Amino acid sequence: MSVSGELRGYVKPFTESVLAILIGAFIGAIVLWASGYSAVDAYKALIAGALGSVDGIAETLSKSTPLILTALTFAIGARTGLFNIGAEGTVYFGAITAVAVTQYLQNPIAGMIAGILIGALWALPAAVLKVYRGVHEVISTIMFNWIAVYIVGWLALDVFYNPKDPNSTLAIPPSARLPLLISNTSLSWAFIVSVITAIVIFVVMWHTKLGYELRTSGQNPTAARYGGINPKIAAIWSFVLGGMTAGLAGAVQVMGVPPGYAITQGLANVSGYGFDGIGVSLVGRNHPLGIILAGILFGMLNAGATQMQQTGVPLEMVKIIEGIIIVAVAVPGLADLFKKLFRRGSK
Amino acid sequence: MNESMIVGLLLGSLAAMVPIVLTSVGAVVSERAGVVNIGYEGILMLSAFFGTIIAELAHSGWAGILGGALVGMLIGAVHGILTVYLKGDHVIPGIGINLLGYGAVAFGIRAYWGTAGQHQVPSYAQIKPLWMDAFGNSLSPMVVITFIVTILVWWMLFKTPLGLRIRSVGENPEAADALGINVELYRFGAVLFASALAGAAGAYLSVDWLGTVTKQIAAGRGFIALANMVFSGWNPILALLGGFLFGFFDNLAIWIQNNPWMAGTVPWQFIATLPYVVTLIVVAGIIGRARPPKWDGKPYKRE
Amino acid sequence: MDAERVPVLEMKNIVKIYPDGTEALKGVDLKVYEGEILGLLGENGAGKTTLMKVLFGMLKPTEGRIYLHGKEVHFKSPADALMNGIGMVHQHFTLVEVFNALENIILGMEGHGLLSKIDVGKARKKLQMLMDELNFQVPLEVPVENLPVGVQQRIEILKMLFRDVNVLILDEPTAVLTPIEVRELFEVLRKLKSQGKTIIFISHKLNEVMEITDRVTVIRRGKVIGTVNTSEATPKLLARMMVGRDVVLRIQKPPKEPGEPILQVQNLWVKGDRGEEAVKGLSFEVRAGEIFGIAGVEGNGQSELVEAITGLRKVEKGKIILKGMDITGKAPRNLYDLGIAHIPEDRTHMGLILEMSVMENSILGLHWKEEFSKGFSLIDWSRVERHSQALIDEFEIIAPGTKAPVKSLSGGNQQKLIVAREVSKKPEFIVAAQPTRGVDVASTEYIRNYLVKLRNENKGVLLVSADLDEVLQLSDRMAIMYEGEFMGIVKPDEVTEEQIGLMMGGVRE
Repeated sequence: MSVSGELRGYVKPFTESVLAILIGAFIGAIVLWASGYSAVDAYKALIAGALGSVDGIAETLSKSTPLILTALTFAIGARTGLFNIGAEGTVYFGAITAVAVTQYLQNPIAGMIAGILIGALWALPAAVLKVYRGVHEVISTIMFNWIAVYIVGWLALDVFYNPKDPNSTLAIPPSARLPLLISNTSLSWAFIVSVITAIVIFVVMWHTKLGYELRTSGQNPTAARYGGINPKIAAIWSFVLGGMTAGLAGAVQVMGVPPGYAITQGLANVSGYGFDGIGVSLVGRNHPLGIILAGILFGMLNAGATQMQQTGVPLEMVKIIEGIIIVAVAVPGLADLFKKLFRRGSK
Repeated sequence: MNESMIVGLLLGSLAAMVPIVLTSVGAVVSERAGVVNIGYEGILMLSAFFGTIIAELAHSGWAGILGGALVGMLIGAVHGILTVYLKGDHVIPGIGINLLGYGAVAFGIRAYWGTAGQHQVPSYAQIKPLWMDAFGNSLSPMVVITFIVTILVWWMLFKTPLGLRIRSVGENPEAADALGINVELYRFGAVLFASALAGAAGAYLSVDWLGTVTKQIAAGRGFIALANMVFSGWNPILALLGGFLFGFFDNLAIWIQNNPWMAGTVPWQFIATLPYVVTLIVVAGIIGRARPPKWDGKPYKRE
Repeated sequence: MDAERVPVLEMKNIVKIYPDGTEALKGVDLKVYEGEILGLLGENGAGKTTLMKVLFGMLKPTEGRIYLHGKEVHFKSPADALMNGIGMVHQHFTLVEVFNALENIILGMEGHGLLSKIDVGKARKKLQMLMDELNFQVPLEVPVENLPVGVQQRIEILKMLFRDVNVLILDEPTAVLTPIEVRELFEVLRKLKSQGKTIIFISHKLNEVMEITDRVTVIRRGKVIGTVNTSEATPKLLARMMVGRDVVLRIQKPPKEPGEPILQVQNLWVKGDRGEEAVKGLSFEVRAGEIFGIAGVEGNGQSELVEAITGLRKVEKGKIILKGMDITGKAPRNLYDLGIAHIPEDRTHMGLILEMSVMENSILGLHWKEEFSKGFSLIDWSRVERHSQALIDEFEIIAPGTKAPVKSLSGGNQQKLIVAREVSKKPEFIVAAQPTRGVDVASTEYIRNYLVKLRNENKGVLLVSADLDEVLQLSDRMAIMYEGEFMGIVKPDEVTEEQIGLMMGGVRE
């Protein structure tokens, strides 16, 4: 009885995410049709590109890696009752720190730890502002993201630049790179790291005292205080943990993606993961297991986009679909609305 | 530092100020009514794109501005339905709209004009400046309109019954409801107004100031506008001042980049972070003096 | 009193039965005549609030009709009632704090078009006239949040008068006023009466009701006990009507010699949310093996007292001592470790996390304990499961399972879960605030018996309840709290209903 009761709790959110994805695909098809493309061909190419070959699957999983990690940032915040959208900037810092540290400590563990630590540090200002000055984290994390763009941009350009290649930073030394899982693809151990991190976060949130306190603070701060929990400490931990996964995302993104293993000009290859991660978390219902699935889905969209491009459809179509999915997920009681619509239709 | 440089800096700041101020002023109205929207970035982008298309079709920059405002309003309507009528979360739809904006504009540029990443707006679709000098510095009519709109909105919010009701609905919707005021109607209206202004601001970016449509056309201005809104203490006149400051720093960074003799001292990137750092300082310090409307961001349901 | 007159407002045979069977109103008749001040007297839960909600259209009555000037009416909302001349000033003001008085009053009735300049002059003139007639002045241009509560209340009244309200209902209006402000309010009410306005004065304060009303209707447990002319009534009579004695259950309590004091409260001063003095220099003690009850209408400082004792509210002055140790200002976590347990008055907002499972709720306030730990900082959920199952079994809680979300439990079972959990902390001292509010009869009996059991086991129990019967039945000693102070500490079997009613209404013995 209790097992099925537990499962029942998962069914509705899962359904709503699936509905949101279908809505995204549907409206995306309309946009394609309105722009003169063939939706059928585009989607076929998308799926073929993402799943139709070993290379495609490798690309899908590789692209999902940073998304899973940044989604965890948002999820940890959401579960604690906070809107932490600071993953974007934290990823940049994680990447540049990994580049810097691995020049001296030439192994991947050092790089990852560096990313995790800087992520925790970069999270502190937002945490402090929230807890001690009441600054809403939506505003502060957006500001910090922009500050990170410029500071890391400067670090990449003027401090850790590659003298032989003006368009990128120094590369991660070969001994510090994450080994590939499948040769000639971009799928590296980074993917394993991200899945393990998701599992670790799952354990932390649902099986430790800290996680219990975070979730309680998020659900009901009054009851949390009554239960002997200090909401200030909970909030700070939430920011720090979230910062750690985002910092790790930046680190593994440079340490695990061939061929450059460096940050490219304008932070191009580390940009966007923070924001996309939010979408992944929302579709994954802010749960690590859902995030792994949603991350792979978004990874699919991004991996298949290059093949879809060959049918003439611009890459960014994928962002449109993602955006619509998020708006659809924001509809409260999406599943109930659908039920009502169909009931009326069948009368 | 000669005179034309100062004029250039001044005019550049005024031009940069327009999208920020228009969006901020709209955001002030929306939040005064209690509705949070973080999707202005997406609205700016989408209206820059669609506004240009309309401007090209109508051979008129002003048609573009109006078209952009309309597009903004449509997006605002979606946000309004989700938040005001369906009582949904205020922040999430904005995230979706921003993502949609990033994607749709890049997609649209290629799909509609066939170019990659950028499209020059033809001059027949642009807005003619009011005044221009030999160095290319110009003053756009939109600057004047921005000033006028700001003052009108301030007047509306603080001197008219409409403004009184809008503010009541954001501060204490229960009190307003008890006096027969339709909370949802005023909130929805405020959202439409705010997104229309942001839409006009977006169209201004392409059809007036920058003269192009690019993938990154908004460049974070939607978020700066939100910062400016907080900085201004939810007051339109102060938003005008703040917008000018932000516009000034916006310009200064570019200016330093283009004037190497300044670049040597401090990396331009640090100057570029100033608007954001200042916002943080102000927001951290400001709590205690100005605060957001009491029911800002909270859905209202009659018990 | 002319019995032939048509009442301005009449509520006839109002019955309200909730879907779960609770009978909130059992056929209430209320009549108010023009130009009089009618007192509506009753304890918490008597039905006054429900009756008002029915009047204003916020609740649909199961039966009954409402007549205004003899014509039947159905108001759709408070705003609708306001349009028809009936206005209510609530205990919690509905004012926009950042607006000034003028703006608050004219909101929604500003005059001409929405976009034209607000005609401050015309409104100010009318308001000045009203203020002059009533002989009180209110600063019109100051933001309301900077004004004292008494002035805010006048603004609420002006708001009604500005809209030409004829029937003015005041819900516990003096709860937030200083004695001087109460005098001033009564002056205003008398003036309004002389102008022909009708006033319904809802209160539990006997002296005030005696002073200001013309007639009093007393409600108890959803029924009107009677209506008397104030001139012919005495506080004793009203007290007896208000409190009466319909004892529902009788609890067996073996006589017991109480032991050493477990909790000592010394000269405690606590502030409320609005900065007012909620607890004023309270001193008392609870001994081992005794139930100390605090009765009184809610809003007299009980909540603040409980929060101060349980570490959830700051103590301004005074000391709280547990088993000889000063615990003033300690955090809840410390207090739980020191042997205090707390059954909070609001189970859904404080006592439980509704979205979480029974299991997860069963360790709230216990979750750091060794017995539920595994390894470094992991929670041993299998042990938590056993713990929660034990709670369910021992307290006969009806739940779909330990993994079921707690919101699927009935109110009574939720409350039993909280009691079970708190008791599992093995406390020396337990604070039970409104422990059986909204709880079904069976669970109520269970919980009350359990509190007695704790007392028999030599624990100290502080029972705070607005249910007078409960306090009378369970307490060994009890106090009546009124405006932050105790009106008296007595033994339940040594005091009469009248005396209690008097104390509850603010008359010290």
